[in-house]
Amino acid sequence: MDAALTLGAGTLTAAMLSGATFGYKTVWLLWLSMGLGLFMMAAMARFTALGKGAVALQNQHHGWLIGSLMTALVGTAAVAVVFNYGQYSLGTHLIESLAARLGFHFPRQVNWVLYLVVTSWLTLSYGRGGKRGIRFVETFMKASIAVMLVAFGACLYVTGVDWSAALRGAVVPWLPPGGPGIDLFVASSAAAIGVMDWFLFNQAGLARGWGKEHEPLARFDMTVGLFLPFVIVNFLVMAVFAETLFEAGTRPETAAELATALEPVLGSSWAPILFYVGFLAVPISTTVGMSIAGAMAIHEAFGWEHRTDRWRWRIAALLPQIGFLAVWYPRPVWLVIAIGAFLSLTDNIVAWSFYLLLNDDNAVGEGRSRSRWWNVGLMLQVTLLNSIAIIYVLNRLGWWFGGGGP
Amino acid sequence: MNLERRLGPASLRLWGLILNFLANVLLLYGAVGFVSDGSRGLALGVGLVVTVACIGVLSTPRR
Repeated sequence: MDAALTLGAGTLTAAMLSGATFGYKTVWLLWLSMGLGLFMMAAMARFTALGKGAVALQNQHHGWLIGSLMTALVGTAAVAVVFNYGQYSLGTHLIESLAARLGFHFPRQVNWVLYLVVTSWLTLSYGRGGKRGIRFVETFMKASIAVMLVAFGACLYVTGVDWSAALRGAVVPWLPPGGPGIDLFVASSAAAIGVMDWFLFNQAGLARGWGKEHEPLARFDMTVGLFLPFVIVNFLVMAVFAETLFEAGTRPETAAELATALEPVLGSSWAPILFYVGFLAVPISTTVGMSIAGAMAIHEAFGWEHRTDRWRWRIAALLPQIGFLAVWYPRPVWLVIAIGAFLSLTDNIVAWSFYLLLNDDNAVGEGRSRSRWWNVGLMLQVTLLNSIAIIYVLNRLGWWFGGGGP
Repeated sequence: MNLERRLGPASLRLWGLILNFLANVLLLYGAVGFVSDGSRGLALGVGLVVTVACIGVLSTPRR
């Protein structure tokens, strides 16, 4: 489920832009960013194995401000609401384009209803009938990843791959020179997995009833179910754009422009349709994953039991559906700025908190980290998230690249 | 080094995180000058050394 959540409109747009702008040169950032993120996911797996909710642990040892507010309410629930605007915007655009390709008119001002119904139904299916509902949604997420793999893989079959350039891009670190290079490295390596992913991995494991004996399974899950799909799907998308728009020198900026620019390059047969179908799986699965994570976060923040048959759960889970407004209006800028600022400045504090908890006898007892390498990975992640916060402040002060200096 | 030992209101591990953050500030502040016009090399160097040292020390697990 985390892979489907992570593979959202933003991540895939970044992969498309990288492919269209730099070709294969930034493939190495894919495995590095997700690899670094796995250390924090392993910490979540440890908390799950001990039967502990991450936010509850934070509330108990570091206070409500860091647990309920920074991690649950803003880091997860508010992010789910704000980021779902982007999923709606992309999803309805793709439905409109796909319909046009199939020969009929289905504008986004109308098709958003279909998007809303499908994603709401899937979201509310989670937990319906107990574990059966959880399995159903998890199976849907796996199917979505499979659709992405098949669809983007088929597109790549049409465009072909320059394996030599791809391999070089995967093992030889390259960044654009100067400030843009530092920006790209910090943003890519720190943002692959965030607070919402950590939180959801912990909570989804608890919902499955995982305990001590499931920790190896959780680690296997984050490797095979998160790392590999993330790297492969992003690589496929990056490669399609490296082989087409990069070669042609075309530089569209938004996901919708990128998809539209790619369409004629793929030819007039089945490839564009497959691309749209695979791409449509991205926002749909992310909306469902974010909605479930948001509902869990609100319940954890207030210490409520996760009762999916209650109206309280349903309302919390459907809050991100306000994103349908994206069909007519862009995201409210003031809200995006406020949430973006809060996230930039607090994600590192949340990471500090999890690092401290994993090394705290009082919090996790004998389950504490005993591995220096695990802690090195966590500290690298902490340092990258610190950098995001610092760059944000330097930018605001006009002291970052291009800001004029102090 | 016992990172769990308390020093004032916090453990050494938390003070280490704060020192690492300050070193990260120095590192990035130095990087802007160094990449732009070759200035602030000292800030970059000190920030880098302290950051690496903090990561090394803070990665020690509790015994």
